[in-house]
Amino acid sequence: MIEIEDLRKIYRMGDIEVKALDGVTLDIEKGEFLGIMGASGSGKTTLLHMLGLLDEPTSGRIVIEGNDVSRFSEYEKTMFRLYKLGYVFQDYALVPDLTVMENVSLPAMLRKDRTEEQTKKDSFGILQRIGLCDRRDHLPRELSGGQQQRVSIARAMVNKPEILFADEPCANLDSENSAMVLDLFHEINEEMKQTIVMVSHEDWHKKYFHRIVRLKDGKVISDGRNETHH
Amino acid sequence: MGKKELKVAFLLALRALQRGSRSSVVLTVLIIAMCFTNMVFLPGLFNGIGQSITKQVVDYEVGNVLVSPKSGDKYVTDLDATLDLINGMPGVERATPHLSKSATLKYRQRLLGVSVRAISPNDEKYVSPLYTRMVAGSYLGDADTGEVIIGKPIAGDPTIKEEDEFQASLGGVRVGDSITIEYGNGYKKDYRIKGIYSTGWYQADNTVYVTMSDMELVEGAPIDYADYITVKAKPGYSEKFIKDELQQYGVSQKVQTTADLLSKSMGRALQSFAIINAVSLLVGIIITTVVLFIVITIKTLNSRRQIGILKAIGVDKEVIMHNYGFQVIIMAVLGISFGVIITSLLAVYMTYHPLVTPEWSATLYLTPLDLFTNSMILFLASIVAGYVPAWQVSREDIQTAMRA
Repeated sequence: MIEIEDLRKIYRMGDIEVKALDGVTLDIEKGEFLGIMGASGSGKTTLLHMLGLLDEPTSGRIVIEGNDVSRFSEYEKTMFRLYKLGYVFQDYALVPDLTVMENVSLPAMLRKDRTEEQTKKDSFGILQRIGLCDRRDHLPRELSGGQQQRVSIARAMVNKPEILFADEPCANLDSENSAMVLDLFHEINEEMKQTIVMVSHEDWHKKYFHRIVRLKDGKVISDGRNETHH
Repeated sequence: MGKKELKVAFLLALRALQRGSRSSVVLTVLIIAMCFTNMVFLPGLFNGIGQSITKQVVDYEVGNVLVSPKSGDKYVTDLDATLDLINGMPGVERATPHLSKSATLKYRQRLLGVSVRAISPNDEKYVSPLYTRMVAGSYLGDADTGEVIIGKPIAGDPTIKEEDEFQASLGGVRVGDSITIEYGNGYKKDYRIKGIYSTGWYQADNTVYVTMSDMELVEGAPIDYADYITVKAKPGYSEKFIKDELQQYGVSQKVQTTADLLSKSMGRALQSFAIINAVSLLVGIIITTVVLFIVITIKTLNSRRQIGILKAIGVDKEVIMHNYGFQVIIMAVLGISFGVIITSLLAVYMTYHPLVTPEWSATLYLTPLDLFTNSMILFLASIVAGYVPAWQVSREDIQTAMRA
């Protein structure tokens, strides 16, 4: 589903070169719940940004469902993100002026293949799925951190994307809310056979992952099936 | 850019205004309203002055159309026949002659040089509202002799000493008092003050009016001539129509409309007003554009991270740009509407409380076309000022925007 070939990202700060990614090569299978783990500064978020088309690699190739995304124009990347990808951010990244329902509906509203009725139905359905239907008219600031992150997941899922990316989605949550969010990812993965790529540095999260890729200094240091997956 | 994208952009704009910083929105709307007021106030005031002067010139000097002696002649001659001809034409309310003589007024120890204007009081009523401006006594009648009406500034104020007067006067003449008028030809006569008027028009208020019958005594012969004839048009008839008609009907004298006369006498002043108006408009537009540019730039810079997130979830940069564009459009519409209300209220207020100077009184004269034109100019300036920063920020790459 995703082929990553010798991916490199070099940041230049004056004369100093920082290799955030240093020749990463990976294949991600459809329906996989992949965990990218590593210490801070290991390059895991950079890799996620490359896969989510939020940043340009210095070199290398990413092929998603047969599309070499590095050849895409800016508009094509935007449309690919809208139709094919979902993204959950560490700090929820909800639009503060929109209600829960409006936040969730936003990506669906832009899809040309969805009617207004379908958008409403899908948004309502996903809010029911995450248990926040009764909070649909609330603003993000009126919700707890865990609830905001669930809304963020709902927004990422509303367009039924092929791949869901999550960048340390539990970083700002307590363990109870973190478990709730991770359970939600697990259910989505199990029930909808959704491919999920999640970045985490919490060791206890690994039980949710089918496969774990560990990075260090921008390089893959281990890649294997997770025997502790529950 | 499809309908769906525009709908999302509009939703984002509306929600940002509804649920974002209210004080920022109110402040921006007020700034636009004040800019609009600034843009239309000074030109409106100048137009008001122009209208006020025009009205006073029409009311107290020339009527709608002025018939004056043809080139080389001193007077409009064959007066009765000319008046009959003009008064018989369709569209003419009334034509009335004026004959002025310079004279010296004497009251007690005071002497004052003035212009004495002979009129036909009853006909004059159709042309000029002078008879409605009496502040003491009464207006002249056609058969009156030995009686005059004088302007308030000529009558003067008995409580002000002669040396303290802003303008020389007779020092407090009242209705019923007798004054002596000595004409340039040496004719001298005592007149009773029948009335005192105040029009607010400098030239009229510094004139003494007598009847044509009285002026015949001064001239020592029946008068069949005049300095000029003022013509009042009936409602619905244009000055141009009357002028063309007079010329067509064979009035051989010089025929000019008020507009003709004003363009000659006030052409330079009107030109100056137009230049000041243009400069004022330009300054207003620049101020509005810069202020809105700053407001939207600050707004977009403060929202850079949100812009990055919107792009990350698949919102196209054009949607983001139009979001800010719509915000500006909504604020501009609100600001301009508020500005129209402010200026309209000011115009109504100034109708009842005009700005009065010794020379003229001015109202705020605004036509719907003025309001529409200025609204459109300000609206376009607002769109430019809003879209430029929105376009700049929406082009930023996701990583830079999200790191902001």
